[in-house]
Amino acid sequence: MTTVQGSSVDNAGSLLTRLRQFVTAHRFFDILPILILVVVLVVLALFIPNFFNSRNIVNVFVQASTLGLMAIGMTVVMISGGIDLSIPSVMALSAIFGAMHLRDGGSIFVSCLIMLTVGIIAGSINGFAVAYLKMIPFVVTLAMMTIASGAAIWVTNSVSVPVFDEVFFDLILARIADIPRPIIIMVIMALIATLVVRRTLFGRWLYAVGVNVRAARASGVPTNLVIFLTYVISGAFAGLTAIILSARLGSASANMGNDGVVLDIVSSAVVGGVSIYGGIGSPLGAVMGAIFITVISNSMNMMQISFFTGLIIKGVVIIAFVAFDSLRKQ
Amino acid sequence: MGNPYLEMRGVSKRFPGVQALTSVSFEAYAGEAVALIGANGAGKSTLMNVLGGNLQSDEGEILIGGQAVSINSPLAATANGIAFVHQEMAMLPTMTVAENIHISSFPTRAGIIDRKAMEASTAEVLTRLGCHFTPDTRIQVLSTGDRQMVEIARALLSKPSIIIFDEPTSSLTSREKARLFDVIRTLKTEGVTIIYITHFLDEIFNICERATVLRGGSTVGGGLLSELTTADIVHMMIGDVGLDTRSAKHSTQQREVVLKVTGLNRRGVIKDISFSLHKGEVLGLWGLLGSGRTEVARAIIGLDPIDDGQIEINTGSGLHPIRPREAQRWIGMVTEDRRNEGLLLPMSVKQNMSIANLRGLLSRWKLIDNRRETELATHFVNRLNIIISSLGQPVKTLSGGNQQKVVVGRWLELNPPIFIMDEPTRGLDVGAKAEIRRIIFELAEGGAAVLVISSEIEEMMALGERYLVMNRGQIVNELPGTSTKNELMGAAAGAAQME
Ligand SMILES: Nc1ncnc2c1ncn2[C@@H]1O[C@H](COP(=O)(O)OP(=O)(O)OP(=O)(O)O)[C@@H](O)[C@H]1O
Ligand SMILES: [Mg+2]
Repeated sequence: MTTVQGSSVDNAGSLLTRLRQFVTAHRFFDILPILILVVVLVVLALFIPNFFNSRNIVNVFVQASTLGLMAIGMTVVMISGGIDLSIPSVMALSAIFGAMHLRDGGSIFVSCLIMLTVGIIAGSINGFAVAYLKMIPFVVTLAMMTIASGAAIWVTNSVSVPVFDEVFFDLILARIADIPRPIIIMVIMALIATLVVRRTLFGRWLYAVGVNVRAARASGVPTNLVIFLTYVISGAFAGLTAIILSARLGSASANMGNDGVVLDIVSSAVVGGVSIYGGIGSPLGAVMGAIFITVISNSMNMMQISFFTGLIIKGVVIIAFVAFDSLRKQ
Repeated sequence: MGNPYLEMRGVSKRFPGVQALTSVSFEAYAGEAVALIGANGAGKSTLMNVLGGNLQSDEGEILIGGQAVSINSPLAATANGIAFVHQEMAMLPTMTVAENIHISSFPTRAGIIDRKAMEASTAEVLTRLGCHFTPDTRIQVLSTGDRQMVEIARALLSKPSIIIFDEPTSSLTSREKARLFDVIRTLKTEGVTIIYITHFLDEIFNICERATVLRGGSTVGGGLLSELTTADIVHMMIGDVGLDTRSAKHSTQQREVVLKVTGLNRRGVIKDISFSLHKGEVLGLWGLLGSGRTEVARAIIGLDPIDDGQIEINTGSGLHPIRPREAQRWIGMVTEDRRNEGLLLPMSVKQNMSIANLRGLLSRWKLIDNRRETELATHFVNRLNIIISSLGQPVKTLSGGNQQKVVVGRWLELNPPIFIMDEPTRGLDVGAKAEIRRIIFELAEGGAAVLVISSEIEEMMALGERYLVMNRGQIVNELPGTSTKNELMGAAAGAAQME
């Protein structure tokens, strides 16, 4: 009896090991998300005739741009081994403060500055708590999420703050060579962020911290500073997103950063190859992931799949990618 | 002598970019200890990982007691009576000794873990190994040496007929070592087959009957140890290289102080540490394992907090007090625990070599200069003779000794004015050890100050121009470079007795 049991355990064990070896040995798996994206796009083209109509595509990309920008910020935090759950609610709060300033007759420049600053301040608080007070990222940013959304509701009384400023709309949403600015901003930011993580001192330190914080410290990496900065960066990206989204929606409200958004951000990052264990991933990948997630949501809309079924499908996709991540981690 | 109990025939194993084993044959008889010897990267751990079921060979067969067996997982190895004491320990630090020892086979009663049985069997092995800690101790509070004993205890638990020891003594005190050897002798009389990997050649003459020598992934020789000398074995391992073990010590003369430590305290760990380190000097920090040597080094470079004390560094214009966190700008430290506090295991050899020196690799645009990074890494890989298949190879796939060389190489690349080397040659083969010693002398000659910590008295004797003797977190004595082995041993032990 024991032998039978032993061997069945063995087989399962070695099958998993073999799967793992296969996944780690083949570079092909690094581009798996893009491959899946292509497959999904082909399927969509076959089933939804209107999907590839250029207006819808541009629309999808504009939608993806705000998600993509937040995913870049999240990626920086996740590479260092942390997580920032407060991005959407901080984004909403920044947008509200900026919009209120604009509503009260303030200048566009100052409004934008306010939005960025609020994001950076919230990020600094997160960063300080995690890096220097050694608090757990999950808890700190969850608390920040509650605080920011609470504050957002409090200052707005749950009423959205309208943004009616043609110049502002023009500035943020205008097209360059037929491409709306949000898309261009997202692409430029993704390229800059990728350059930063791949080729700068900070970037190299970032991966080192994510891989093994103690080893990084012993190698002279200022680990606390690096961790602090990751949250400042994700806060700044929340602020930048606030500018674009408030222009796109023509208003700012607490609801901009609802609970579903944080899930979408994490999914974008994970689908884009960012490891929840830290040390692996790139901003460009996360942006691909954001496009993928937006395409799924958008196509489910067009296929008139209910919102809740949509959630289930998204959840399954995410679990599949996280499972893949843990296989690769071994 | 009859038939061998264990036979490995024609074992080959290829990794991406390197043929690690080429048709290796290996045999061992019941009740004997066979030494598996070879330079860093020769394939010793790989061969044993095949036997232990951690790796599948591409070719070859394994016979136990004359029967061909297939070992496709660690569980299958255990089922075939094989136990493995690994070179790199993997333990769960927050769990207890008993839990760690039983991790792959918890004793159960009605489906519930039988704590009593678990602790009883653990206590039994621990007594056998002469360990002084209890089964319910958490791993994280144990020293490296004690953890190594836990790893050995885990191997003994399954009552194996073959035990593989992969460099078991690299972090044991001499007393623990003696106990381990006693256990091995008893095991041999019980008919257990021992396979023993080490770079300490004196150990194999002490407890092994036979040796098999690997070189570049092939068996190149071996035989009864009663018919071999250390020189024969070294010759088989690395060929004809002059092992210059003569010391090239400087004379102690008045030289500039580059590091001055005054009254360093950390409650319960180190007490009142004061000393000076001079330009061009190799200073040995000597003491028994656990006497606080590593803790002093860690406090100086700010890896551990201090309660009070002052650290001054000569930054070019005389001594200046600095905060511990800043010390790393002038001090490079080879850390003792390369896996947890040295290497970025999944990252490449190149990135591991450059991580301390990134500031020196920035181009005009503040970007890391790829070409210079590659050049420098290549230079030090060659200088230290690190065996890799490419600079992009993840460090975790290097052999133990080659991983250690990467840690050393990282600090050579930074080239700071002060080096602290905590067990710099741990896991290195005899040739590589001599090379590291030569490098340390070169550094000192070039004006660097080097603080060396080593558990190997021969290494200390070869290197130190002056020794600080530590005991219970305090510096209790200072000895000149001309001290004899007995004087050094006496100072460390005597200091311990004084208490
Ligand atoms: N997973 C792996 N992927 C690629 N190469 C590997 C892997 N594991 C081992 N190697 C290579 O195989 C060779 C033999 O390594 P092995 O660990 O067996 O050496 P060793 O004799 O144990 O050396 P040491 O004395 O340094 O521990 C080395 O060149 C090593 O880089
Ligand atoms: Mg080895």
